[in-house]
Amino acid sequence: MDIRLQIKSLLSEAELYRSQGLFLEAKDKYHAASAMIHKVDKIKNKESLLKAISAKIQSLEKKEEKVKTGPASPELSEKGQDLIKNLFGENDLQKAIALAKFGQFERAIVELTPLLKDDVYRLEAGKNIIRCKLAIGSVDDAVDQYNRWDSAELFTADQLASIRKYLQSRLDQKGIEKPLPVPVGESVDNNTISNSGGIEFSMPEPEAELLDINSIGITFTSGAQKGKMVEFDVNFQSGDMLSLIISKRDKGLIDDLKDGDKLEEIQFYSPIAMFKGTAVIANKIQIDSGPKQGDFCLDLKVTST
Amino acid sequence: MAIFNLKKREIECKIVYYGPGRCGKTTNLEYIFKSYKKQVTGEMVSINTEGDRTLFFDFLPMGLGKIKGCDIRVQLYTVPGQIKYSSTRKLVLRGVDGIIFVADSLEVRREKNMTSLKDLQANLKEYGKSIFRVPLIIQHNKRDLADEGIPLMSVEQMDRDLNRQLKVPSFPGSAIKGTGVGVTLKACLMETLKSLQKEFKWAK
Repeated sequence: MDIRLQIKSLLSEAELYRSQGLFLEAKDKYHAASAMIHKVDKIKNKESLLKAISAKIQSLEKKEEKVKTGPASPELSEKGQDLIKNLFGENDLQKAIALAKFGQFERAIVELTPLLKDDVYRLEAGKNIIRCKLAIGSVDDAVDQYNRWDSAELFTADQLASIRKYLQSRLDQKGIEKPLPVPVGESVDNNTISNSGGIEFSMPEPEAELLDINSIGITFTSGAQKGKMVEFDVNFQSGDMLSLIISKRDKGLIDDLKDGDKLEEIQFYSPIAMFKGTAVIANKIQIDSGPKQGDFCLDLKVTST
Repeated sequence: MAIFNLKKREIECKIVYYGPGRCGKTTNLEYIFKSYKKQVTGEMVSINTEGDRTLFFDFLPMGLGKIKGCDIRVQLYTVPGQIKYSSTRKLVLRGVDGIIFVADSLEVRREKNMTSLKDLQANLKEYGKSIFRVPLIIQHNKRDLADEGIPLMSVEQMDRDLNRQLKVPSFPGSAIKGTGVGVTLKACLMETLKSLQKEFKWAK
């Protein structure tokens, strides 16, 4: 092909890629055209052509940079946030968590705060408020929030311990040295005895704490759902105990499950890992009052992972 | 996961348009929104960023009316194609019932198509789903660019690259002109409803 035609073809290809938003591909073609022009002496307006191509490359680089450095989760309009709530969550907690998952942390906190008044959602709402505050980057705010809860009577000692463990582990991960106060009722560090020179027993290592589980997939081995894997969101977690709220309209999915049943094939989904394990149904009840009346609460004790 | 209301005989299912950045997922949805007014039941919502790139997702609700005694409602979504929005893609994919993989016919995008399909497989796997079992249709988009002398892959090559093992239905398309958009969606809906029939036995 005539070199002029080759240059023309490269430039029109580059232009098309640019119009399609394929900046990298467009840049490559402009560079190739530019290299070809450099090699040919008999081109009219060679310098101005090269200058024009160089300007196009610069403009593409600017656009590329804008895309690269653009915020991954910018704050959306209220309408956009409402859409996320409605499309990605069935209950109030799931809706608020969906906002957090899409990076709408401020609004998520607004939605989570009233859920602290709800017995069913309190713990999970609390943990997610802490998670949002940490995500916004306000570590001090998260710690202050925990301290306020510690001195109030909103959470039980167990719930507070669970939140503290979560927050402390996140602070440790971030390398922030900020020991949180231990809630009243939780056992004090054993080191007090050993440091005082008293008796020392060889104690087994504490079992690794179960990761925060967002959702699980249960593969049914019997009943109407036999062979199927059904996914459920975990509404709250306390150590190895997971609680699921299942809408009454999904009753059919859990009809065959009863207290004491062993679930041999469970897929656990956590924000950082996915793993298989087993669990036992510790409790299955139908909620008889409040906004979740008629829905089911299923408590699972994780037996192995 | 589709919602089947046995009492009202209603099914609501979720179809996701997947594919590499700038392959034409949003353009597919825009064409459907413009051209299938009877079936579209609400506004198309797009959350875009700089340069019209999809940031979170696009959403378009549709109603297909009664099929075999059941009212079928469909939610169409697109995912953001850019690599950095991996977690958003995974979120949008949750509970998917059928997928349309929009592949870019431009030769320069060959690798991106394959990377995106692998990403789809990995994300489905995390939800315990197999790419071999989920209702999936491939659309070879941007076929119109051949007229402009731009190097495109042949449909055969694209099928070899992407569909050798999957062996799912594939269609050439030009979302910007509307070619192949309807047939792709229809094929996906049929595969999805067939799969839901196996699960729920909804058809009378």
